[in-house]
Amino acid sequence: MRPVTPRRPALLSAAGLAVFLGAWEAAVRGGVLPANFVPAPSAIPQALIGEIRNGNWFTAIGESLGHYLIGVGLGSLLGIVTGAAVALLPRFAAAQAWVARLLRPIPPLAWIPFTLIWFGPSQAAAAFIIGVGVFWLNYFATWSAVEAVDEGLVELAAAFGQGGFARRLVKVILPAALPGMLSGVRSGLGQGWMAVVAAELFGIPGIGQRMNEAAGVLATNVLVLYMLTIALLYGMTDLAFERVTRRFLAWTRA
Amino acid sequence: MSGAREPIVELSGLAFGHPGDASGRNVLEGLDLSLKRGGFTAIVGPSGVGKSTLLRVVAGLVAARRGEVRLLARPAPDRRTAALVFQDARLMPWRRVLGNVEFGLEGLALDAAARRRRAEAALALVGLADAAGRWPGQLSGGQRQRVGIARALAVSADLLLMDEPFSALDAITRQALQDELLRIWRETGTTILFVTHDLDEATYLAERVVLLAGSPARIARDVAIRTPHPRARNGLDGYVSDLRRALGETFIGGAGI
Repeated sequence: MRPVTPRRPALLSAAGLAVFLGAWEAAVRGGVLPANFVPAPSAIPQALIGEIRNGNWFTAIGESLGHYLIGVGLGSLLGIVTGAAVALLPRFAAAQAWVARLLRPIPPLAWIPFTLIWFGPSQAAAAFIIGVGVFWLNYFATWSAVEAVDEGLVELAAAFGQGGFARRLVKVILPAALPGMLSGVRSGLGQGWMAVVAAELFGIPGIGQRMNEAAGVLATNVLVLYMLTIALLYGMTDLAFERVTRRFLAWTRA
Repeated sequence: MSGAREPIVELSGLAFGHPGDASGRNVLEGLDLSLKRGGFTAIVGPSGVGKSTLLRVVAGLVAARRGEVRLLARPAPDRRTAALVFQDARLMPWRRVLGNVEFGLEGLALDAAARRRRAEAALALVGLADAAGRWPGQLSGGQRQRVGIARALAVSADLLLMDEPFSALDAITRQALQDELLRIWRETGTTILFVTHDLDEATYLAERVVLLAGSPARIARDVAIRTPHPRARNGLDGYVSDLRRALGETFIGGAGI
């Protein structure tokens, strides 16, 4: 059965959001939710103005963005290179198989105590924790994308005198695997923001630490402000990535 | 083209077995075949007999166990001695049509302008000059196959190796492309080695039909089709029934031939 598509879906979505915020506001004002523990949505703009005035908002965003970009960048790069190597080099694949099996199930957040011992509450520690999760996502996405490359195209390259490793890699494997690799990077972009907050809750300066401070003084509207800030940053990085990679993937829509 | 029709490729005592096959069994055995420059030869035989394998040995993609393949064409930096057309067109979906045709040229000593010129000329030859900017995903099966042919033509190969290029197409498209291939053959004077399991197709197109049969496969029949082009599609029954009989005998005779 084909569901009926509403004529103005955006209008309906906006109405849904308005109802959600209205119900939330009413619940706090009417005493259904305790005002000490849950801020009213109307209190959040005020938190934003305060955090901008005291300079914390931009500082926290800048610090978190720094952790994020380094962690996601390095994690993606190393994950892609390792995943491609596993798919292309059978000896390397065999050599790393059990190491990967051992390390892979360890949740990225379980590395937090060690990173704090090794790096202290620093940018390097946050980047490491973010990078671990992003690494595995890219490792598996690239591995399966490269492994799924059509053997026929590899034979085609050889038939036209371009069967050497470098040419095969650049002209066949990488372009063919690109959509799968980029979808791995994109998942990593989301996973990265989750890890940012978690790492900073352990005292590394950034949005997470600011949330911890706000929670300590029950400044719940500031807490929600930073939760929404993370959502905004995630949405913006995802959108930017989609826009930038769009033209490389035009052929997948043909 | 020299009128003398000197040979362009010679296979002698060729044997091939898959490297992974531990039994050491050969797929092809004792093949001797000499192709004249400018000729159109079809290889026919039951499916799985090793026709495509033979093309890959000639193309140098796999190595023979015994015997040799001698390509007598003079190698040149701006052309290939042999070019392959695949059954499944095998286009790179991330390259536009022109880019796919240029792919074969990228292994040659040509600058970008020359590559483009030759790719465009090859596309024009298969009637797809207007489709240069399209993605493979936007083409019909017949168009995709034309692009595969253009890619092989662009490298100006002395020998065009075609692996059942029309077998996945509908009957109308197939007949149109067969006639187009004959026109291209006439216009370019290239040598064609054409694999098919379709005896009608082989006798309609080729000047010579070689029947591969048995296990390991040997040449069971080598027939010159003397009917001049253009041929009537239903005027070749004598050749077809002769080949069909030969094909039947090879089955009854089993591997003994």
